[in-house]
Amino acid sequence: MMTYIVFILSVIFVVSFVGFSSKPSPIYGGLVLIVSGGVGCGIIMNFGGSFLGLMVFLIYLGGMLVVFGYTTAMATEQYPEVWVSNTTVMGVFLLGLLMEVMLVLYVLKSEEVGVVFKFSGVGDWAIYDTGDSGVFSEEIMGVAALYSYGAWVVIVTGWSLFVGVLVILEVTRGD
Amino acid sequence: MNPLIFTTILMTVLLGTMIVMMSSHWLMIWIGFEMNLLAIIPILMKKYNPRTMEASTKYFLTQATASMLLMMAIIINLMHSGQWTITKIFNPTASIIMTSALAMKLGLTPFHFWVPEVTQGISLTSGLILLTWQKLAPMSILYQISPSINLNILLTMAVLSILVGGWGGLNQTQLRKIMAYSSIAHMGWMTAVLVYNPTLTMLNMLIYIMMTLTMFMLFIHSSSTTTLSLSHTWNKTPLTTTLILITLLSMGGLPPLSGFMPKWMIIQELTKNSSIILPTLMAIMALLNLYFYMRLTYSTSLTMFPSTNNMKMKWQFETKRITLLPPLIVMSSLLLPLTPMLSILD
Repeated sequence: MMTYIVFILSVIFVVSFVGFSSKPSPIYGGLVLIVSGGVGCGIIMNFGGSFLGLMVFLIYLGGMLVVFGYTTAMATEQYPEVWVSNTTVMGVFLLGLLMEVMLVLYVLKSEEVGVVFKFSGVGDWAIYDTGDSGVFSEEIMGVAALYSYGAWVVIVTGWSLFVGVLVILEVTRGD
Repeated sequence: MNPLIFTTILMTVLLGTMIVMMSSHWLMIWIGFEMNLLAIIPILMKKYNPRTMEASTKYFLTQATASMLLMMAIIINLMHSGQWTITKIFNPTASIIMTSALAMKLGLTPFHFWVPEVTQGISLTSGLILLTWQKLAPMSILYQISPSINLNILLTMAVLSILVGGWGGLNQTQLRKIMAYSSIAHMGWMTAVLVYNPTLTMLNMLIYIMMTLTMFMLFIHSSSTTTLSLSHTWNKTPLTTTLILITLLSMGGLPPLSGFMPKWMIIQELTKNSSIILPTLMAIMALLNLYFYMRLTYSTSLTMFPSTNNMKMKWQFETKRITLLPPLIVMSSLLLPLTPMLSILD
């Protein structure tokens, strides 16, 4: 089973994405977001990215999703919609599940998936061994590079998030 | 809106397009598109009534879908070429997906359905920004990937856009919808020549932006959004009736006005590449566009449109001062003799 752990985790990942994009009430969407965050962390860890997995749990689940949960709890209604309460929601959820099941069967039948490109297994993040100060991992070097060579990306994404908050406040403010 | 917030959001729209136009990494281009989309939503929603909210929602949904398709094309390109630089696309599937995504952003057929509805629901100034500035970013990406675009798909979309832009505008009396259909048709002209000579696409974009800016500013000046209220301009400022006449005929592509220059160059370039039927069809379909421009000029400047007697004595507040209007009018009507200067563009 351990050889297929990434595959199983990715199936749970996609199913939980289907779960919240079939639009039940946001509280239940947040619930499956937690599950998908945890599973996504597991996928990243299996590629050797322990730092990024920790980042997912701490910042994404522990920071952003907590804030989302609190705001949704403040704005909740008396009878929130579940996946089985509304025919449309259940229909979309079942359709997504069906497509995922068909994809899983396709992957299990043939060794590789050849939809637009050939995709047979994934690689790992490379591990460098420089010899003088120990072992470096590529994903942490990527994060370090973001803050040194990629300073422009940090500025742009930071500004985008700031403007995102401004826009949301402006849109919901009304007259 | 708070002026500081409004300035910040407007500057972010400009920044988003600048990032798209000057980035060399596909991810930054996608970020630029998203920043542009996010920041223009409150500009579209400046007035809070259900029409603007519906228009902003429609705009957001279509553009977000286009951004998702763009991201998919970027990733397929990454899988096949292993790098993130902006050059031609190395895989036909990625090229088709990216062309469709950029066509959705521009409003080409068959993704044109959002343009009239969104343009109609928002104010004239927001419609101005939507139809001119928002076309710059996708067109710059199309320019950069032009060596690898599938010719059949792009030409089909272009010709269908000219058709739809011409036929769709025929039954309209709302000025914003007329401008939206004119935008669809002009985008069709621009993308038709993209594969043959991308410089002409940029020339057409430049002249189209000038003419659309002029038209919108003339509409803003007389605060008119329907043909009926435009037909009362003889009462408010009679000079603008002549200016509307000249600019509309320039948009229709009549010589000796500057709107003829891009159409002439495009037809010449297409015939140089041995396609005769296509430019003939395009020129004939441009007549449909010319028809509804002519109808506007007929009701505005050539006749006194029937109205009740109390409309004939208009009392108005102080006239809006639009500083940029005279140079724009001159540029959108008198540029044709400068055509030989195009040889400096390479």
